[in-house]
Amino acid sequence: MGIAGRFHDGQVAQVHVVGLEYEHAGATGTLVIRDEDGVELGRWPATDLYALHGRKDELRLGANGQPTGARVVVRGRVDVARVLATLPVLHAKRRQQAGREIRLAVTATVALAAVIGAYLYGVPLLASRIVGLVPPAWEQSLGETVARQMEASLGDSGGLEACDPDPDSLANRAIARFGAAVLEGSGSPFDLDIKVVKSEIPNAFALPGGQVFFFSALLDQAETQDEFAGVLAHEVGHVAHRHGMEQLISTAGTGALIGFILGDMTGISVAAGLGATIIDARFSRDAERQADAFAARAAERMDFNPAGLADLINRVGADDEFARALALLSTHPLTDDRKAALEILSQQRPTGLEPPFTATEWAAIRSMCGEPVAGTTPKTKSK
Amino acid sequence: MSSVQEQPVPVVFTGTRSELAGMLLRGYGLLIPTIGLYRFWLTTWKRRFYWANTEIDGDPLEYTGNAIQLLLGFLMALAVFVPLYGLFFFLSTQSSEAAIAGYSGVAVLLWFLMGYAIYRARDFRLSRTLWRGIRCDQGGSAWGYAWRRFFWSLLVLVTAGLAYPFMAASLWAYRYRHSWYGDRQFGFVGSWKQLARPFYLTYLVVVVIGAVGLGMGSAMGGLPVSGATPTVGGVVVLLIAAGLIGLMLLYYRSREISRMFSSVRLGEAALRVTVRARSLLGQYLLFGLALAGSYIVLAIGGLIVLGVVASGAFAGGAFDPQVFMQALQSSITVLLAIIFGYLLLLGAFSLMVELFLGLGFWRLVARGATITGLDSLRTVKARGEDTALAGEGLADALNVGAY
Repeated sequence: MGIAGRFHDGQVAQVHVVGLEYEHAGATGTLVIRDEDGVELGRWPATDLYALHGRKDELRLGANGQPTGARVVVRGRVDVARVLATLPVLHAKRRQQAGREIRLAVTATVALAAVIGAYLYGVPLLASRIVGLVPPAWEQSLGETVARQMEASLGDSGGLEACDPDPDSLANRAIARFGAAVLEGSGSPFDLDIKVVKSEIPNAFALPGGQVFFFSALLDQAETQDEFAGVLAHEVGHVAHRHGMEQLISTAGTGALIGFILGDMTGISVAAGLGATIIDARFSRDAERQADAFAARAAERMDFNPAGLADLINRVGADDEFARALALLSTHPLTDDRKAALEILSQQRPTGLEPPFTATEWAAIRSMCGEPVAGTTPKTKSK
Repeated sequence: MSSVQEQPVPVVFTGTRSELAGMLLRGYGLLIPTIGLYRFWLTTWKRRFYWANTEIDGDPLEYTGNAIQLLLGFLMALAVFVPLYGLFFFLSTQSSEAAIAGYSGVAVLLWFLMGYAIYRARDFRLSRTLWRGIRCDQGGSAWGYAWRRFFWSLLVLVTAGLAYPFMAASLWAYRYRHSWYGDRQFGFVGSWKQLARPFYLTYLVVVVIGAVGLGMGSAMGGLPVSGATPTVGGVVVLLIAAGLIGLMLLYYRSREISRMFSSVRLGEAALRVTVRARSLLGQYLLFGLALAGSYIVLAIGGLIVLGVVASGAFAGGAFDPQVFMQALQSSITVLLAIIFGYLLLLGAFSLMVELFLGLGFWRLVARGATITGLDSLRTVKARGEDTALAGEGLADALNVGAY
């Protein structure tokens, strides 16, 4: 009598308590399945056999050419070991199957890694292409929506009140002229709308569609024309490159990618948030460098030192040790690095250019928000 | 027919927690080098474990699905999600009113799609379940199920939850009446009447306890209203009320599981399941303890690591926060440590969920189940092959797949 087992024929839900015997025929052989009375229920050639996943100390066998549900089941450590020793083909097939799955998993992983790599290096390029397809009117209305939301959220502290509401004042005209001169030649579809507004936060930023906000607290800290003109030219650079729109597109793409990796398409988990932050911050740092380079190019047409923008940012909030440690998460490059890059870019500036503002204009700009607000300066980084 | 006198056959579960724990730990480890793709293999191994250890009348179930099918299904689900993502993105750029309306629309659409995904996932699992060499299957229409679930849930919303027993009974019946074992169709003899008593009792008690607890708690100042710090007494009352509500919900859940599973028929075979509320409570208490224990272990481990990294801060037996912060701010290793620590916390959490809630629940149902009339199943014949190639698709993407 052979090894005891259970047999399902895969056609009817019956259990047969069977004895298993193995008939050698040269290098291979046949598994013979007999019921308790010795009646033969099946003959499975060894080469057709394969093992399925069962629980511990249980061997489940199927065979090619049999109904897909047909099974021979052997239980107990000793009996399982005996069958495996008799049928080395099972080991070989399982190794084959495992090898196939490992190859597939490795291929899929490499493919995914390639997608991530392509994403990291391709999306900044792709996003700028896609941005070119976005109708300017749409981007403009989006910028207006963002501005409205921002004013609403800042409603408690008085919204975004313009320092000098008269567009024809000396200061506003000088700023508008400077902005237009900087933007000139970039082929931007937008008209600039630069507003100097009252706020205790030293910051400046560009919205999609050509709106630029310069907060009074940042203006108060500017010591020279170079610094003010540098930051303004940098923000105009964001407008010209349509970075706001680009960032929206790449953020959406990042969310989708992270969701794919984590298998959580809703993307609400902390891991998804952290991953997206690291990737988006990388894109954002690239955009900052582009805007710096744009400011440096503008400084080849007008007499201001673009490195001044790094000085102003440094005064507002110098990089501390913590910023250096978390540089990977930061949306801005380290100020020292920016200053070094800007100084290299401004080395070949031609001489004999007109300064961006006359002395009277600069004085008007400096006083357009009244006297600097006294008190401590909030340590917020500027854009 | 002798099936009437036949003794009920208990379902046996033979798997152990340590076996599952080993499998999960190995799987979590492999998730990192495969950038998360190993999750399809991990799910497959997990199912093999649950299925293979669930034994009915001497023969365990067999899960015949594989990871590649799940991977393919997920890729196909992406085809649905990419346009949805585009829609989301477009909405986020619109004016706030339009965006809110759009988001709600997408949320409703997702809720509807979840019904489809749940049904498809069940189809996938059933059609890959083998017992005694015969495969199970699910017919019916996933869209039909999705519509039913959608409109029932609207009705439940409108009636402030009172329609829930009708919805539950209707969906249980739809699922089982479209399930097959070989050529034999499952039946379902349950109705809303079996759920009505426990449900409306629970409903009433929860409303009363909720109202009384909230009233008393806020009267005693347990709510942080207008910046006032909550009083201890008020908070205690609120916590007791929340605990009692939790107990009632467990009581109802145990009744729904027991009564609905006990209504499942397969020809002359009848399933009977008894799950007690106190067993469910025990699972949750055990889970809470295990989670707390694992987090304490992780915290101690983290402190030891910090002590090694920033040993200067602990010099002389006193803790110097400044030295400590300096040591932390030095390099990128800090960031890696943060990510690694986060992954450890996340891993410990999902490990405990699977070990104590997932396995616990499966074991409770399996061990509480008996089947009568099993002999009548010996004449069931296999049906033709129609296992669809695709995996669970949407269910993977929407994260609705249990087990």
